[in-house]
Amino acid sequence: MDFSYTDEQIGLRESIIKFARRELNDGIVQQDKDAAFPRESWRKCSEMDIMALPVPEKYGGVGANFLTTVISMNALGYACKDAGLVHAIATQLLCGLQICLFGSEGQKEKYLPPLCKGEIIMAQAITEPSAGSDMMSMRTRGEKNGDTYILNGSKIFITNGPIADVIIVFAVTDPQTMGLRRLSAFFIEKDTEGFQRSKPLAKMGLKTLQNGELFFEDCRVPERNILGKEGQGAIMLNESMEWERILLPAAHIGTMERILEACIHYAKDRTAFGQSIGKFQAVSSKIANMKMKIELGKLIMYKAAVLKDNRKRASLEASIGKLFISESLKEACLDAVQIHGGYGYMTEYEVERDLRDSIASTIYSGTSEIQTNIISKLIGL
Amino acid sequence: MNTNDILRQFITTRLIPEGKNVHLSDSDSLINAGIIDSLGILTLMSFIEEKFSMEVQGDDLVPENFDSIKSISALVEKRSSLATVV
Repeated sequence: MDFSYTDEQIGLRESIIKFARRELNDGIVQQDKDAAFPRESWRKCSEMDIMALPVPEKYGGVGANFLTTVISMNALGYACKDAGLVHAIATQLLCGLQICLFGSEGQKEKYLPPLCKGEIIMAQAITEPSAGSDMMSMRTRGEKNGDTYILNGSKIFITNGPIADVIIVFAVTDPQTMGLRRLSAFFIEKDTEGFQRSKPLAKMGLKTLQNGELFFEDCRVPERNILGKEGQGAIMLNESMEWERILLPAAHIGTMERILEACIHYAKDRTAFGQSIGKFQAVSSKIANMKMKIELGKLIMYKAAVLKDNRKRASLEASIGKLFISESLKEACLDAVQIHGGYGYMTEYEVERDLRDSIASTIYSGTSEIQTNIISKLIGL
Repeated sequence: MNTNDILRQFITTRLIPEGKNVHLSDSDSLINAGIIDSLGILTLMSFIEEKFSMEVQGDDLVPENFDSIKSISALVEKRSSLATVV
């Protein structure tokens, strides 16, 4: 086992960190208040080829392996303070991976080059008002009618939904079964007749990330817009979740590394009763705990990424990593506010934003409770 | 044990609650019976990839390949023979 990065990975990590610090962090407090999507930062990230990383070169991508993509997201999560932007980019990457894995040649040629350049923003729509991780409860219907499908239903909380140009929408195409053949996925372009969306929903954190509702009313989708095959949707979702549960936590570990540095700096600088507060065990143990969880989280993240690069299944590792890292992030952010005291509660010090941003990490991509269910199932319980 | 019996034993012990007394024929539909659902398939794929040293990727990831012991066995045989050729 060799945990060292290649020279290329080291260079990429350093360049992303320099880029993010230089280009992505100015005005973040105001952007958070405005809750607006940072289009200029998105454009800059696309110029850095961040969205193109895992896509093969023949479709305009970089052709990086998954571990390199994960290391890059880790670097972005570390250096970019806008967690909403990082999440939006992760969603773009995941859509690209889905197209690479399941798309037809025509779909790859059509969608991947503009996706890599950030010219189109992509989203994937799974969650519904009464169906989250329980994908078999999905109600959005895709009824076949000749060589088209007619979609009816709605989606909620969809990341990038209010601003996306193309959305991968999951719908029920075989309502007679509750089983694995029930779902299919479709490409829906923003101007498709019968497709509408809400304004972005107001949220506690991740304010620059745009989440919203999607509505389909007799929305006609040509058969060629099906991603993969009819009835393959549930399996595609499982595959997609493996990638997602590695990629998003990779960024979270980066955020934890930034928080750790801020806490160490503050704990050394701030004095009380004649010594730096880092000398008090009540404070230092919180910070040591952060470091421990970062290092342990990295191990499961590397293992899962390497498994994927070796074309192995990583469902168990992805769920363990997602659960452990998201819960650790939330705890670290709460501790960071506590360590910073009154300053931590103030917007200007920015740790309160990290805390608000962290709360959703144990909810999206399958709640912590769902991850526990998956882990239990996979170990035979 | 042949491949079908290995699969049957796994499915009846790991995927069906109290399944040791369940009779499962090679052609019974596992999807229609709710045995292979979205979580069940994760467990099954992890098992067959490890047990038979194979990968299930791309075009193989369709429900039809996981609907019965017979179809799973055919997938195992197909992937194993491809691995041998490579």
